[in-house]
Amino acid sequence: MIRILLADDHALVRRGVRLILEQEPDLAVVAEAADGAEAVTALREHEVDLAILDIAMPVMTGLQAAREIARRRTPPRVLMLSMHDNEQYFFQALKSGASGYVLKSVADEDLVAAVRATMRGDTFVYPGAMGSLARDYLGRLRRGERVPDTVLTEREDQVLKLVAEGRSSKEIAQDLTISLRTVERHRENILAKLGMRDRTQLTRYAIRAGLIEP
Amino acid sequence: MTPRVPIGDAGGVSPFRRLPLYWRVCLINGAVFAVGTLALVVSPASVSRNVLASEAVVLVVGLVVMLVTNGLLLRSSLAPVDRVVREMEVVELSDGHRLEQPTTDPGARLVRGYNAMLDRLESERSARSAHALAAQESERHRIAQELHDQVGQDLTVVLLGLKRLDGRVPADVAGELELLRESVRAGLDDVGRVARQLRPGVLDDLGLASALAALCSDVAAHGSLGVRRTVSPGLPVLTAEQELVVYRVAQEALTNVARHARASTVSVSLMRLGPDVVLEVNDDGTAAAGLVPGSGLAGMQERALLVGGTVAVTGGAGNGTSVRLSLPVTEPVTEGGR
Repeated sequence: MIRILLADDHALVRRGVRLILEQEPDLAVVAEAADGAEAVTALREHEVDLAILDIAMPVMTGLQAAREIARRRTPPRVLMLSMHDNEQYFFQALKSGASGYVLKSVADEDLVAAVRATMRGDTFVYPGAMGSLARDYLGRLRRGERVPDTVLTEREDQVLKLVAEGRSSKEIAQDLTISLRTVERHRENILAKLGMRDRTQLTRYAIRAGLIEP
Repeated sequence: MTPRVPIGDAGGVSPFRRLPLYWRVCLINGAVFAVGTLALVVSPASVSRNVLASEAVVLVVGLVVMLVTNGLLLRSSLAPVDRVVREMEVVELSDGHRLEQPTTDPGARLVRGYNAMLDRLESERSARSAHALAAQESERHRIAQELHDQVGQDLTVVLLGLKRLDGRVPADVAGELELLRESVRAGLDDVGRVARQLRPGVLDDLGLASALAALCSDVAAHGSLGVRRTVSPGLPVLTAEQELVVYRVAQEALTNVARHARASTVSVSLMRLGPDVVLEVNDDGTAAAGLVPGSGLAGMQERALLVGGTVAVTGGAGNGTSVRLSLPVTEPVTEGGR
């Protein structure tokens, strides 16, 4: 059983997220909070494996709460929920200690998958950030800079280029006439092969690539 | 930008020059007539009942001398009036052009008054547009916030609710439900996009460096332009207004480059130069992106003025264009960023 803390200032959003999560038999929302400060307090009273935080909350934002939570002796994993389709928020979330970033506009599709990835210890890379990671990687390759020594399959290479062009997984699936699942798997493999699987690796790469300020 | 004309600088000017124009003309005319009358009284010249040719010549010469004297004296007083009238017909505010200030000319006061009026109009106008810009920004801020916090959240509720219905509805409406979900998703994306265009939330939440990074990667993602970005470490902390100006100028300059410059790479750098924080956007394009009509140079300058900065555009003759914003900062150097 995975015990979850859920924080969002909008009660109905919280309810919706909770219902989606609890459709899974092994996920249970054990605590709710309406802002970051409440979330931090709630963690003292409840044993929690995963905290899902809305990034924009009053009193204490999700990012601040994540930093606070990361300071605990045995911090739970953290997942960010956000309205912002912007990689800067994603990288900031990683820096603040979160393992994943889920856009609210795809929360119905991605949330459970993100929870699973996070609990496995992987990072859930939101698609918008994957685009600029791919662009940066291809740019290095073109300029002849040293890149992680990897061999991508031809398919993975195709997917990587399409991702760099800003195509969504759905569009890529249509273009290559493969299933959405397959595209997702390719994306995961690409990230793993480029050494960007977990939070630390990804953050380090993003800082070195200058995608975010250190 | 505009040379300030000292007002009321009449030191060392004779009382005559300080007289109103009307009295000066009266005085000059009166003086000329008085001299003419005096000349008639003291000179031996006289006019017979039947005017002799020699007397006529003397009269005509006297008249011409009076007219010429009067004309010369009035000219220096009235010429500035014509100059100002001519100038008023063609003057453009905000180009900084001012009439040359005559120093000895008695019309100096008129020119000075006119220049001072232009100064006042200009500063009033820039204060007004500053006010309008600030009002516009705060309104945009409010709407963007509302979109995120209200509309966005409501749509999220609908999206999650529809997901819950998935698999519980009869098969014949499942397709319909899927369609609805995609529409709500598109709506959410639109709300986010519109809010972002109205006001870059990343600027308020994560600070200028992140906002510039987001801006650059946006440009890189939507086009073939290569974007390089450097933000020097240890920049002084800027106020929220200053950050917004830097962001908006960078945004405007990058948009121009993407649209008009025919460039392959553009660099964006933020650094400290002496007492200023300087933003530079340099492209390697063949067209002068900053100088194209409608490129928003005036808008950038107006924004810069709000926080006491200046915008300069250089180059453009096929060797790339450089847009440079300088903002004076007074605070001591402290740790930049957030």
